[in-house]
Amino acid sequence: MNWIAIRMLTGDAQKFYGLLFGIAFSTLLITQQLTVFVNLIERGASGVYNEPTADVWVMDEVSRTTDVNFPMPSTALDSVRGVEGVEWAVPHLRANASVRTREGDLEGVTVIGVDDATLIGLPARMAEGSADVLSQPDTVIIDDVGVGNLFEAGQSPIGVRLELNDQRAVIRGVADAIPSFTSQVSLYTKYSQALQYVPGTRNRLSFILVSAADGITPQQLADRIQADTGLRARTRDQFARDGVDFIIENTGIPINFGITVVLGFIVGVAIVGLTFSLFIRDNIKQFGALKAIGVRNGKIRGMVATQAGMVGLIGYALGLLGTVGFIWGNSGSAFFKGFYIPWEVPLISLVAMIVIITITGWLALRGVMKTEPAAVFR
Amino acid sequence: MANPFKNLSFSRQILPALAVLGLIVAAAFISGTLPNRELTEPEREPPRATGDLANSARIAGSGVVEPSSEVIAIGTALSGLVTDLLVQPGDFVSQGQPLFTVDTRAIRSQLAEANSAIAEAQAAISEARTAQTTAIRQLDLYRNVSDPAAVSRAEVIRAEGDAMAAGERLNLARARLGAAQARASSIQTELGRATVRAPMAGQILSVDIRPGEFLSTGGGGSQNIIEMGETRPLHIRIDVDEEQAPRVDLGAPAIVSPRGAAENQVSASFVRAEPVVVPKRQLTNTAAERVDVRVLQIIYALPDSARENFRVGQQVDAFIPATGDEG
Repeated sequence: MNWIAIRMLTGDAQKFYGLLFGIAFSTLLITQQLTVFVNLIERGASGVYNEPTADVWVMDEVSRTTDVNFPMPSTALDSVRGVEGVEWAVPHLRANASVRTREGDLEGVTVIGVDDATLIGLPARMAEGSADVLSQPDTVIIDDVGVGNLFEAGQSPIGVRLELNDQRAVIRGVADAIPSFTSQVSLYTKYSQALQYVPGTRNRLSFILVSAADGITPQQLADRIQADTGLRARTRDQFARDGVDFIIENTGIPINFGITVVLGFIVGVAIVGLTFSLFIRDNIKQFGALKAIGVRNGKIRGMVATQAGMVGLIGYALGLLGTVGFIWGNSGSAFFKGFYIPWEVPLISLVAMIVIITITGWLALRGVMKTEPAAVFR
Repeated sequence: MANPFKNLSFSRQILPALAVLGLIVAAAFISGTLPNRELTEPEREPPRATGDLANSARIAGSGVVEPSSEVIAIGTALSGLVTDLLVQPGDFVSQGQPLFTVDTRAIRSQLAEANSAIAEAQAAISEARTAQTTAIRQLDLYRNVSDPAAVSRAEVIRAEGDAMAAGERLNLARARLGAAQARASSIQTELGRATVRAPMAGQILSVDIRPGEFLSTGGGGSQNIIEMGETRPLHIRIDVDEEQAPRVDLGAPAIVSPRGAAENQVSASFVRAEPVVVPKRQLTNTAAERVDVRVLQIIYALPDSARENFRVGQQVDAFIPATGDEG
């Protein structure tokens, strides 16, 4: 019986592909926009996720994100190290500076000072060179997006000399890092070197990166640090979330993307609903005939559900493939660097698609249910 | 449906199959590209509290390695060219061992002068003695003449005066000798001052002079000629934030590791806490001085076995047990 339903569905190729297009398009719209949205606001957490080792970030009470921070006195490091349950703690400096390139261009950069001895604070991977180059004097490591911002295509950044706060800085490596929300150039260097590069106030220590000892959760440790030292301590996930929240609160991005997602949903409902209703209405004679030979309403519901399910499956798959193709095709560009499809997003669009199909299927079915077997003769 | 290939329909069979395939591909892509946000262990060992301290109240501090005598900047008593350098950095010296000498040629010529003055004074003494002998014999001669008319009274008086004058000349010559000898001995002392000696047993830490360079006694402290200190044992001076200072368990050993080699941890024994709380000295090498933070300095002695891993002036990270009263 369902086979008949599918034959019915594919019988009119125009309508069939119209339905597929509607579903695929709205799936694509919802999935792709949600993906870009999530990735874009997660840029606010890139500073946290680029650092692969710290469980807890400790900062001044008023610091909010990796980029909105207020420095602490240097002895804060020792007081954090003294807290029970701290496995290790190292200093971390993040500050903005201006760099003058060899061509004389001005570029705002984020100077990131990592612990001198252990280099904790560097991204996990290097795109070019090794982290050991930091032991050479006046060395900075640039992030790969910064290479695109600071240099023309094809120009190697290795060995280029920059001027930072009247000091010499030589690029000796490229780090593989997720860019920040503003795609600002990041320069990684040793903490002591960063102190020279950043024109300074008295206090310089922006963050303390802490690892929790065995037997204590990051959350417990953060609470304890906060109680013992009076500094603000956030677990890695909390601090990443802080960065995301900061962007949500301070930009119009959620509204813009929200509108697009809603539009995708509406377009989906409209196209699919209309086409599906028309399709059912066109086939009302066939349903009448089926009813005439004694097919019950339950069976007809099943048939319509099969039709809707098939259209939904194929359309959804096409839309999802479109999104995957989009992300895959753009993975090379700096703007989309590190973009991924969170596994929740396809589920959300799946649910949205099911809702669309259900609504339209239900609307279309209403007519069929009322159909009398005599309709076949009209 | 007897022969599925005969009736193969694009929209009914191939398309759904493609859709399922597409879903699988998409799922694989999505799960394959999820970002790796796993926490990893740092590649290099950061300083951490170990043993009993790992899970008990503790205080962290940073500090520097110093000789147990603290660093002695050797000075020079005399200005002049360095003619001889007798030690190298790293040498162990005993107390009184010569370290270097400054140019002594001028002093030696003065010594020669003083010696000739001594010889001159000695000659003057013998000359005066001869004159005195002559005068005394003359006087005796006059005195022994029994005939008063043979020698006039005036002659006698003159002879007496000659004898006395000769005696005085002898005294003068002796005094000259004494003066010349005193001068010679003071020049000898000066000669001794030209050789700078170790004030105590210890190790030479740095040498910033070379033969031929000029040393001056003035100025004071601008130039460290030679630095030395007792490095057996080494001490470390740990800065503890004044806010944490009341919690320090004074007397307990501390866990210490050199900066950059946190795996070389040693236990250092307590020596003393400095009585003065001082502004934190900048250990981060920045030009800007920070004076808002005051620190208590606590001295610990490193065990002899750790001497290879610690050098004077090196920064260290330390963990000190805290009295568990608070937080």
